Amino acid sequence: MPIPELEKPIIKGLIQKDKVVIDGLELDGTWNAFMIERTQTGYDPSVWDEIANTVEGNTISLCWQCGTCTSGCTMREYDPKYSPRRFIDLARKGDKQSLMELQDSLWRCVSCQKCTHRCPKGVLVEEVVHAIHNYMLKHGLVKKDPGTVFDEIFLEAVMKNGGRISELVLGGASAKAGFVTLSIRDLIAMSGPLLRSGLIKDLMKPSKVKNWDRIKKVLEEAMNEEVTPE
Amino acid sequence: MSTYGKVAFYPGCALDGLGKPYEVSLKLAAQDLGLEYEKIEDYNCCGALEVKNVNTMAGLLLPARNLSLARSMGANAIMSACPGCHYSLSRTQYFMTRYPKLSAKVNAYLEKMGEKPYDEQLLMIHAVEFFYNTVGPEGIKAKVKRPLTGLKVAPYYGCLYARPKAYTLTGYMRMKDDPERPFFMDELLKALGAEVVPFEAKTMCCGGPHVYSDAETSLHLEARILKEAKRNGAEILVTDCPLGHVAIESNMNKIASKYGEDLRMPLAYFTQLLAFAFGHGPDETLLTANLTNPMSVLKRYL
Ligand code: SF4
Ligand code: SF4
Repeated sequence: MPIPELEKPIIKGLIQKDKVVIDGLELDGTWNAFMIERTQTGYDPSVWDEIANTVEGNTISLCWQCGTCTSGCTMREYDPKYSPRRFIDLARKGDKQSLMELQDSLWRCVSCQKCTHRCPKGVLVEEVVHAIHNYMLKHGLVKKDPGTVFDEIFLEAVMKNGGRISELVLGGASAKAGFVTLSIRDLIAMSGPLLRSGLIKDLMKPSKVKNWDRIKKVLEEAMNEEVTPE
Repeated sequence: MSTYGKVAFYPGCALDGLGKPYEVSLKLAAQDLGLEYEKIEDYNCCGALEVKNVNTMAGLLLPARNLSLARSMGANAIMSACPGCHYSLSRTQYFMTRYPKLSAKVNAYLEKMGEKPYDEQLLMIHAVEFFYNTVGPEGIKAKVKRPLTGLKVAPYYGCLYARPKAYTLTGYMRMKDDPERPFFMDELLKALGAEVVPFEAKTMCCGGPHVYSDAETSLHLEARILKEAKRNGAEILVTDCPLGHVAIESNMNKIASKYGEDLRMPLAYFTQLLAFAFGHGPDETLLTANLTNPMSVLKRYL
């Protein structure tokens, strides 16, 4: 069986960077590895602290980098750059630049919970991955991704529709946001059984929570509160 | 039921929407088996897997209000039929018990909403566990009027029925299923006379929160589940998760045109099969409302 690593040309000691600034001088091209320490600037130790101080990211410090999370990860199979273990490593080092380069992967967790379930160290990996991503969003280091757009649509729908949602409310809002939704053919296939069973009525108008206005106000107040893991 | 004490039922938005057939059939099956639960009428959305990513407090408070309502009803356990809800409620319980100051804050807001503070005393259960741990397969067998002999089923549990163990407590006690290879639903279906095919996609992900935002990946994940069911000869995919159920059913045309017509397969909730086997008709169990027409394989038992 071929060993993939051996089939790649190994250029030992060489690194490639498009743009490198060393001691104020801009250099391009391929450089010897002795420069790694000097070219990778911008390690920011506050990243780890800030993430560890969130409710979701608190367990980041427990990780011992075994890679169990990444080996079973659902998203990993579709995106080879997706690696919860690596995200944690980079966040703890404070390597914001590498995390920024991963922005098209960082948001893609489907919350299947395999990682959190299997982590031998009790890291709540799925939560930590979201905490890392949220850190990047909060500091404007990554652009807003489709997953986050949908999450926000969801929360807004809950707030606006009396504390509950329905597939139609969500589907409609997602269509507005430009996500692919159902085709005419799908709609025709769907509406038959829905009309026959009378389900369509419930879907058009999800019932509301009593006193929702009061609850909503409290929620909005609570959402402004910064909470820490204690 | 003495197994759990008083059980409150949290329907969640899905069961009041496209998942209605799940709620209706759950009720029929439970009634036939003499199982009691009380529905939380004024429930709110649990926030699913989305709200928690936007705002920490909203992600905890939405589930917490439901937990508080259940305690106000005097419940000892809270049953969800949707694994997504089961997960959200369990997650809130986890964070509240871990972080006392956070829990005090959540409770202060609950009181502002006019609800009682939540005392963290509920046991979270999923509908599959509810049937398995109360009447069990034997109790179910005794009620079967229409045995589903020879029906080849693939039980699809989804991600959040058993994962992660820190929240759902699976693997820690006998009342909870095996998190890597769950079997409670298998046993319930066998009790109906059905043949459970080997199925390694039981807890594979359907794309869940990203069915809209990362649609192509979701289609691929869903196709993989159907492929595994087909490969093992299943005629029907039996579900306990309204999110996965609705995602796969409404994507069926797209999956078939992208990954092959042979992947087409009807879906039914496990409670629909229970109620159907107990003698209820296709309309009563809303089997006729499923988008993928499960009656096409079930009509031979009528
Ligand atoms: S499984 Fe846990 S300990 Fe291992 S790398 Fe992942 S987060 Fe770290
Ligand atoms: S929850 Fe996210 S990070 Fe964890 S295994 Fe699933 S897709 Fe990967």
